[in-house]
Amino acid sequence: MKYVEHINKVIRERIAGHSNLVLFGQNISAGSCISGLTKDLSVKGNSRIINSTNSENSLCGLGFGLMMGGASAVFFMKQLDFLTLGIDHLVNTYNIIRNMPEYYPGSFTIMPVIMDHGYQGAQSSFNNFSDICSMARVPGFAVTNKTDAEKIISAHMVSPGFRIIGVSQRLFNEELIVPDKCVFASEGGELFQYSDGQGATIICFNFSYPYGYALLRELGNNGIRASLFNVNALTPIDWEPVKQNVIKTKRIILIDDSKSQNLSAYALLADLYNIKLDKKIVITRKISDNWLNPVSDEMRIDNEKIIRELKNK
Amino acid sequence: MMVNEEHKAEKFKVPVHLALGHEAIAVAVDRIMDQNDSLVLSHRNIAYNLARLGKLKPVMDEYFLKPGGLAGGRLGSMNLSNPSKGIIYSSSILGNNFSVASGLALGKQIVSSGGLTIVLGGDGSIEEGSFYESLLILRSLNLSCFVVIEDNDWSLATQVKERRSKIDLFSCSGSLGIKYAHLEGNDPIGYIEELSRLKRISLEDKAPVCIEVKVSTLGDWTGPKSTEHPDGKFINYHAGPSPSASLSAWPILKENKEDPIFVLKKYFKESELKDFAKAELNKLRSEIYHEICRAYK
Repeated sequence: MKYVEHINKVIRERIAGHSNLVLFGQNISAGSCISGLTKDLSVKGNSRIINSTNSENSLCGLGFGLMMGGASAVFFMKQLDFLTLGIDHLVNTYNIIRNMPEYYPGSFTIMPVIMDHGYQGAQSSFNNFSDICSMARVPGFAVTNKTDAEKIISAHMVSPGFRIIGVSQRLFNEELIVPDKCVFASEGGELFQYSDGQGATIICFNFSYPYGYALLRELGNNGIRASLFNVNALTPIDWEPVKQNVIKTKRIILIDDSKSQNLSAYALLADLYNIKLDKKIVITRKISDNWLNPVSDEMRIDNEKIIRELKNK
Repeated sequence: MMVNEEHKAEKFKVPVHLALGHEAIAVAVDRIMDQNDSLVLSHRNIAYNLARLGKLKPVMDEYFLKPGGLAGGRLGSMNLSNPSKGIIYSSSILGNNFSVASGLALGKQIVSSGGLTIVLGGDGSIEEGSFYESLLILRSLNLSCFVVIEDNDWSLATQVKERRSKIDLFSCSGSLGIKYAHLEGNDPIGYIEELSRLKRISLEDKAPVCIEVKVSTLGDWTGPKSTEHPDGKFINYHAGPSPSASLSAWPILKENKEDPIFVLKKYFKESELKDFAKAELNKLRSEIYHEICRAYK
């Protein structure tokens, strides 16, 4: 099953039978239905599916208004960069709602597609999901595999309150990653641990989980059993499970594929400052990387080099 | 005017936007609202909050950020709402509230509560793109909503003619198939009748109505002297107190229709109005200063 097919399935299951629901966005029930993300959605009773206008700013306000009125709203957004048009509502309207939650009982979820598959050119390649969530400390969740998709969408979509749930265009037509096991998952789906080993601690941010998953397997093939974490929520979280693991392995590999200058990975590094490390590998994008031309948006990670570094204690 | 006096004395930490002269439309909106109707306001919300509540002290206490204020001191002035009276949201961001109102209007259809959504903006807010976007959404989704635009001709220290070309709201609304109405003259009785008629249309047709209301924000101040304005520029006050407005037993600021009190002469003798005003002032003074008086006893 493809990544997008699974997410579509989980969404359909989540909204089934839910009342007072408005699903909206551009072409969500027409054409490709956002490349299959919103295919075959159905609602009951007064609930509605709306192929909306192209008015991202006001559609964010529409969602908050629905929430204020007690309805549940989900805004499916074709591209994360469109959400920059709605930042006013994230940094202003949302503050009123969370300041007076007793008056606003509804639900609002924005589900943007993070355009991280490349070949878009100078525009439409904004993948800094953490920046969008960070500027107003908005709850935000990145969906990267079967386990986190089920946990996050089931827990948050159409639940009371507001959040952003991001999905990756780069992964849409990739085979769904099905982690072998889930060692640990925080209650709200902010942090997941998929492997527990002594050889190193891999921590993935933004939408870099597939890179970490591939590295984990390469390390295993080379006799290094590593721990693998994925940081799904991009607002402050409890790092304790990661810290305890790093104390054990003393070797960390951070992977963050966001194009931001201010990376969530740095927040973790700051928190680990008093832990003595034998090895620290930080894999991020460089400003010299070519992301202004229509090229692939894949991060190039030299797994063999990482293996050599870990073996050369 | 009592708020203005406190404002002049620099007693507020929060920025209070007065609305002397906006009372007729605020009173009319209040009178046509039913239990299921919702009101969405802007930063200049004082007249509507007072009209809906019918009391000054909780609003004043909110401006002083007291726990006993209308919102427990959590909202201050520009975001002051009162959900128990149908004021669901007030935004300090120009144009931000139109789309929120469209969501509230859609929500009334979804949760089957019915009712009209009324959103307030000013002549500055219609310069924002969200105004057009929201009109489009309201019309496309067939939502019952009043979009009330108070045109007081000023945005901070500039008049409309100083900052932009004219926006013809009649044509703008018409281009989207939205009914337009124009109100002026500050006659609260006439406003109530017209808004009641438009409300029936909006609810029956499931359609938004754009209502442009001519208002004069009364009071003023003179800006600093400059080469261009050697005597200082006359500015219709917007974000601060009005030095030219003074509390008196007869709270009229202009002897013409720009002042809603003047318009009331159509219905009452001047002596009656003066008696009403005096009685009201005494009542409010007693209400507001009761705590202070008690403290000094």
